[in-house]
Amino acid sequence: MDFQPLLLTFKLATITSLILLVVSLPIAYWLAFAKFKGRGVVEAIIGMPLVLPPSVIGFYLLLAFSPSYWFGNFIESIFGLRLVFSFSGLVIASVLYSLPFMVYPIRAGLQSLPASLREASYTLGKNEWDTFFKVLLPNCKPALLTAFVLTFAHTVGEFGVVLMIGGNIPGVTKVASVAIYNEVEALNYPAANQYAMVLFAVTFLILLVVYSVNNSLLRVRQSS
Amino acid sequence: MRWLSLLLFLFFAGCDKPSDKIIIATAANVQYVMKEIQQEFEKESGKKIQIVVGSSGKLTTQIREGAPFDVFVSADVKYPQEIFEKGGGAEKPKVYALGTLVLWSKDIAENDLTTDVLTTEKVKKIAVPNPKVAPYGEAAIQVLAAKNLLKTIEKKLVYGESIAQTAQYITSGSAEAGFNALSIVLSDEMKGKGHYVIIDSTLYKPIQQAAILLKHSDDSPKKAGSEAFYQFLYSQKAKAIFRKYGYK
Repeated sequence: MDFQPLLLTFKLATITSLILLVVSLPIAYWLAFAKFKGRGVVEAIIGMPLVLPPSVIGFYLLLAFSPSYWFGNFIESIFGLRLVFSFSGLVIASVLYSLPFMVYPIRAGLQSLPASLREASYTLGKNEWDTFFKVLLPNCKPALLTAFVLTFAHTVGEFGVVLMIGGNIPGVTKVASVAIYNEVEALNYPAANQYAMVLFAVTFLILLVVYSVNNSLLRVRQSS
Repeated sequence: MRWLSLLLFLFFAGCDKPSDKIIIATAANVQYVMKEIQQEFEKESGKKIQIVVGSSGKLTTQIREGAPFDVFVSADVKYPQEIFEKGGGAEKPKVYALGTLVLWSKDIAENDLTTDVLTTEKVKKIAVPNPKVAPYGEAAIQVLAAKNLLKTIEKKLVYGESIAQTAQYITSGSAEAGFNALSIVLSDEMKGKGHYVIIDSTLYKPIQQAAILLKHSDDSPKKAGSEAFYQFLYSQKAKAIFRKYGYK
């Protein structure tokens, strides 16, 4: 079996999840605590990848990344980078595609914390920054873990978007889900089955670990 | 009460008995020409047919799993042969047309459009239908190998999932050039989009496209109609339509 598509999938999922973690913390904090007009609009935009068919996202990204349209042309002329058919393009697509899977659990985690926690921290002289990183985040570890894992798993399962903008290049954009699709198309069921089994097993293991860890974290909290 | 009867009506109206419309499973690259063949056949026979479009591989899988198709018009010989060997065909698959390979580009003019331009800086990405599953992709790789270009431009190749997606890569300019089927370039949807040249057909093995009449039970109401369509596919009238769309 060729392991390259699997390795590529996990590389993509890891990089995407790490980027999203950094990006989503301020967004989730802002959505959880800030008061502003047009919150509905912001939430709708962030949540769109949840409901949009991946082919829609893929189609627009294909046009956006193409050098014959202004965005792709701009990126290519400034950075000399072509996003369509490249690994960096896949990363950007995955970040957009998995954004709500990172933002929403973290926001929910932050909102579920009692307001007194924040208030106590402010009263004791901590600023917003310290309160966020030293008080709020450590208290919503299960939410952070859930968010990270959901994002990771969602990126592993990404198919439609990659199929549209990837170009199926071995070692660059040919991820496991696309490899499975190709093998089925070529009537090569044994090979498809091998990839599928690995994804099946890995996904189960990831979720098992998350739920076990989350359960034990919650138990600690409840007993204390 | 009135609502209930309406609901019941809708329910039973939705559960029509399986239609005796003939369903033709059609490979993506012949979908445009099939539209015209369909019109011609319906006019001549007075029978209605329905066309289902997919990639040859997917349609083969579906047929093997019992999809209710009557005739399978594939993009190559391999897939119908596979069905025949598994016992799904009424008779051996037959070639209905030979495909023509073209080099196609959105911005490069015909005069400059040769396989040599692919090695230049002008072309950063070359779109090719996935050679593992698409016969036109296989032919494109044969051409590049025959011209001894494969090694130098291998890094530029991107693979479309189907001939249609490869066409999308080329016409959107995501890839500066690419290989495709003449039938796609000449279709109404793609006509006038960019420039193309026909590749010397001695450089690749003939792209044989075959169809197979799928097995019917003797008392099937769709048997006669399916046979009639299958016959029509090899008639002079159909041949003329195929030629118009760039098949040989």
